[in-house]
Amino acid sequence: MPTVVLMDASLSMTRPVSQEQCTEELQRKHLAVAGLTMLFEHMANNYKLEFTSLVAFSSLWELLVPFTRDYSTLQEALSNLEDYDKTCLESALHGISNVVQQEWGHACPTQVVLVTDGSLGIGKGSLRHSLQTLKGRPEDKKFPLPFPFPAKLFIMCIANADELQMTDTMHNLEQLLQLNGGDGQIFTMEGQLCLKSVQSMFGRLIDAAYSPFPAVLRCGNLASDVQVFPRPEPVFLDEEIDPMPRHILTDLEIVGFIEIGDISSPPVMSRHLVLPIAVNKEVDDVGPGTTEEPEEETSANQQAGKVPNFCVLLHGSLKVEGMVALVQLGPEWYGMLYSQADSKKKSNLMMSLFEPGPEPLPWLGKVSQLGPISDAAENPYGEDDSKSPFPLQPKIKRSYAQNVTVWIKASGLQTDVQKILRNARKLPEKTQTFYKELNRLRKAALAFGFWELLKGVAELLERECTLLPDTAHPDAAFQLSHAAKQLKLASTGDSQYAAFDQNINPMHTDFSGGGAGM
Amino acid sequence: MQNSHRAEPEMKMFSVSHKTAFVVDHCPYMAESSRQQVECDVLTKSRGQGMIPLAPVSKSLWTCAVECSMEYCRILYDVYPLKKLINYIVSDSEFHILNSWRQEDQSTHELMSALAAVGPPNPQEDPECCSVLHGLVAAVESLCKITEYQHEARTILMDTADRVANRGRIICLTNAKSDTHVRMLEDCVQETILEQNKMAAGSDRLMPIQQCELVLVHIFPQGEDTLVSDRPKKEVSSLLTSEVHSVRAGRHLATKLNILVQQHFDLASTTITNIPMKEEQHANTSANYDVELLHHRDAHLEFFKSGDLHMAGSTSRDSGLKETVTLKWCTPRTNSVELHYCTGAYRISPTDVNSRPSSCLTNFLLNGRSVLLEQPRKSGSKVISHMLSSHGGEIFLHVLNSTRSTLEDPPSISEGCGGRVTDYRITDFGEFMRENRLTPVPESPDAEASGKPPAERAKAQLERYTRYWPMIISQTTIFNMQAVVPLANLIVKESLSEEDLLTCQKTVYNLVDMERKNDPLPISTVGSRGKGPKRDEQYRIMWNELETLVKTHVAGSERHQRVLDCIIACRSKPPEEDERKKRGRKREDKEDKAEKNINKDSEDKSWQESERLKGVVERGKEEQGESEVIKDSPDSPEPLNKKPRLEEIQLPEKAKGPVSLLTMWTNRITVANSKKHQEFAGRISSVNNKAELYQHLKDENGMDLHENGKATR
Repeated sequence: MPTVVLMDASLSMTRPVSQEQCTEELQRKHLAVAGLTMLFEHMANNYKLEFTSLVAFSSLWELLVPFTRDYSTLQEALSNLEDYDKTCLESALHGISNVVQQEWGHACPTQVVLVTDGSLGIGKGSLRHSLQTLKGRPEDKKFPLPFPFPAKLFIMCIANADELQMTDTMHNLEQLLQLNGGDGQIFTMEGQLCLKSVQSMFGRLIDAAYSPFPAVLRCGNLASDVQVFPRPEPVFLDEEIDPMPRHILTDLEIVGFIEIGDISSPPVMSRHLVLPIAVNKEVDDVGPGTTEEPEEETSANQQAGKVPNFCVLLHGSLKVEGMVALVQLGPEWYGMLYSQADSKKKSNLMMSLFEPGPEPLPWLGKVSQLGPISDAAENPYGEDDSKSPFPLQPKIKRSYAQNVTVWIKASGLQTDVQKILRNARKLPEKTQTFYKELNRLRKAALAFGFWELLKGVAELLERECTLLPDTAHPDAAFQLSHAAKQLKLASTGDSQYAAFDQNINPMHTDFSGGGAGM
Repeated sequence: MQNSHRAEPEMKMFSVSHKTAFVVDHCPYMAESSRQQVECDVLTKSRGQGMIPLAPVSKSLWTCAVECSMEYCRILYDVYPLKKLINYIVSDSEFHILNSWRQEDQSTHELMSALAAVGPPNPQEDPECCSVLHGLVAAVESLCKITEYQHEARTILMDTADRVANRGRIICLTNAKSDTHVRMLEDCVQETILEQNKMAAGSDRLMPIQQCELVLVHIFPQGEDTLVSDRPKKEVSSLLTSEVHSVRAGRHLATKLNILVQQHFDLASTTITNIPMKEEQHANTSANYDVELLHHRDAHLEFFKSGDLHMAGSTSRDSGLKETVTLKWCTPRTNSVELHYCTGAYRISPTDVNSRPSSCLTNFLLNGRSVLLEQPRKSGSKVISHMLSSHGGEIFLHVLNSTRSTLEDPPSISEGCGGRVTDYRITDFGEFMRENRLTPVPESPDAEASGKPPAERAKAQLERYTRYWPMIISQTTIFNMQAVVPLANLIVKESLSEEDLLTCQKTVYNLVDMERKNDPLPISTVGSRGKGPKRDEQYRIMWNELETLVKTHVAGSERHQRVLDCIIACRSKPPEEDERKKRGRKREDKEDKAEKNINKDSEDKSWQESERLKGVVERGKEEQGESEVIKDSPDSPEPLNKKPRLEEIQLPEKAKGPVSLLTMWTNRITVANSKKHQEFAGRISSVNNKAELYQHLKDENGMDLHENGKATR
């Protein structure tokens, strides 16, 4: 989930903060930079796969750092930040909307961290003005929220709540959040504006959005501590029936295994890396870290690399066998684990989340009904792996799989009539197909109440009968007049002859060897 | 896709599209001809010779209404085989309900059969008695009836059952007299809703209607002017909205209902273009065809969002009413073993289901092949955005992710925890995964009685299979031995048959035999200096490990216990082994420690815990025992008596190399016979320690332990 940091670089950010203990002048901007530095440091250490970009704005906006995992670049850009004129949030939001769409498209959930002092401009271009003029805008001048991609908006105010509530700022920010579909949070500073309170505010942001997601991956008694990245977001199902968000369990339990060909490119809600982590249980005994920490860390990493880990084993076998592991994420919620290779020949254990529900993939059926093969009387994969119990077949075939009759276009009807006539001319060889097509037409005509067609086709068959060449097999004439007669009877609607599930059967003639004639 | 799950109306399962009541007018005037003629005698002209072609046939208004409504249902059932329900009602002098809300009643075959029974309207019937009103009243009543899905949801929610909404839509196909007539129909529906809601309030089987959409389609013959004007959706009341469509019978009606089904069920259209298809007449040429498919509109989400809809080849077709996105057939095809990153999969329905291009495409897909689809772009760059694929006779349009991934360039798994370990049992775990593949288990009515659901049984099996499962080759001896396989495969089973037990025992005898022959073991030398443990030490490690494996399963059944008994009996140690154990112990302790370290990060494995405990107990016992015997010097040579002993036992037919089943069996018989030679054992017991070796064989073969004990000690 990429992050865009939207940093207010307007002049108001340079307002000094009244400091009691400290003589040195501290600006709001300095507090903002300190907070972001803390965030970047945290990400560099604990959330390093997150792509982050930095955008500064005043009346204009500028992409200072495009999406990167290089937090030193971000830090550097932050420290070189200059001061500009007034705040104009709308254009900046337009800006980041474009930046995100260009980089990630429209489906990628994004986190926007807006850092501002809460003075959101005056007059045209101010947030207040933007919000007042929301309605009745032309299509091309729409307010950028909600973003076309799913986004969480975190508003970091370098101000305390009282200050914001004195004006309508808080109200405007809340409105902004609402425009974003309510997804996000407004953070304000508690107590005096100082380094401590800004750090505590960013600490709350980190807890809310940038803390790693630890979990345990289990396969029976085999287990591994893992980190799931990016953190899986809570999912909302039916808002009426099930309005509570669903979270994935931190205990990820494998249910069993399925071949890639059987799971067959299933649709997923999101994808996550599953990274094995070493949980050092002796860390408390060691005591607080000293200056030697980095070294220790390296050796600890090396140590961890040498300890067998279930994730690595699982990944290796999934890759070799071309299989996925079905994993339970919660009640009636499943996902799959598989080996994902990137272009550079590196590969990794990946987890995709299916949509919550008892039956996320129709071709697997209900997941709770998937059992071990040992439960089956006979191995459903065959002794030589030549078979598969998947995919499941639906009870009723789809229209395109069952030769339905549609006469909406004249050509559809004409084709069906021609098929009958073609077979009629090849009687008695084509007796079976002739009656099959005839019955198909009969059924549809009866259902559509199209008795006129039955009469028409009967007449066509009678005419075919008269046109039979002398060389024709005698059976042909009998079958044609029999079929014509049956169609005519059906066209009266007489329930004896017009039953839908009844078929016209070929007439048994002496020639067809079926016994007595008419 | 995640986006589509937020705050959008389709998140509601019980939206108006959960229930659709079709009301089709069956009054005498519907028997009137649509005046759209169909020539069905087309080939006759070419046959020529003054033959009189058959007069064209023409459909009645009824036939037009029925076939277009069936087409609506066909598309709906293709795209939503479940949970979108249709109740089909026909109205003349009374109403006829052709099916119910039940899922098993939802199929076009079911409806066609019922329609055939109804037949076309009777033109002779008294028009005064006939009205579409009967049907509309029945439709409102029907919308109040609870569906099985609503019932299920209410049952689950219990206290909050009121969250389950009751909404629905009535599509009325009729021939109205005038706008006033239409207003009268609307008023009637409104009144009936109020009436029915009152009744429903006091019933368990009925639910009051919270929202109803009335869609009136006025059908009139070709060449006539309409007496009813089109009207967009308007609110009649807070419960009812109504819209009027005035349409000519025939093609126009079909187009209208096609548009309606798309609107009602959030569908969109994709045209697959450039489909190469063999020509019937010219087998070696192929022309390119287009096929239009309908599916949920979320398959186009990315286009909607980006405003790329028009750029992505969207064109208007059929008199400018319909929009479709064009996607290009793409070669090469994809193979099924590739796992695409797919963000959505939506069932499709061909617009023109039995046209030749459509059926060629659908048959191609139904045969199990998949096709990638390319999005035409201005820039000319090739972007593959979708895939068509069938799963079990259903065709899905898969949406493939075509944007940059936020997970790019992750650290390789080899760089992380456990990444430097090179001897994982990858092949063995692959075998394990194959054995733990899943299979659908039919739901049985007595499922509750039979205990755990299948998925829980699958997990239970995984638990059993992993009670003792060393992850790396150097951590295990037994799993590197072909000879252990039969036992290892069987012991994890929930229950053992008598035959299974026998196989396990045979495996153990075979190991005893290997030990006797002094066969080398694939024991790891990792972590030990030099050549690793000595041969008998190796066997001790192997036996310990086998015991560990089997011990984790003894609680399973009495036969599991008997396998363990067999092992314990067979491995009973000759005295000198105890002595040697002492020498080996230091080394072993080290190994144990190493093993413990390895296992530290997966602490909560029950078998390890129990094993550790047992280890402590056993060691205690051993120490006691050892203190009583006189110990060899650690440097003393291996006992020389080992080799001759082997020779004595070795049977002539036993050659070196893998042991055949015959050999195993012969051994068993030989051993069984050997116990008859009492004096043989006694003689040996008098010579050094040789008696010990035979003792344990005898034990295993059912000899009284006490007797043996007396004989040897």
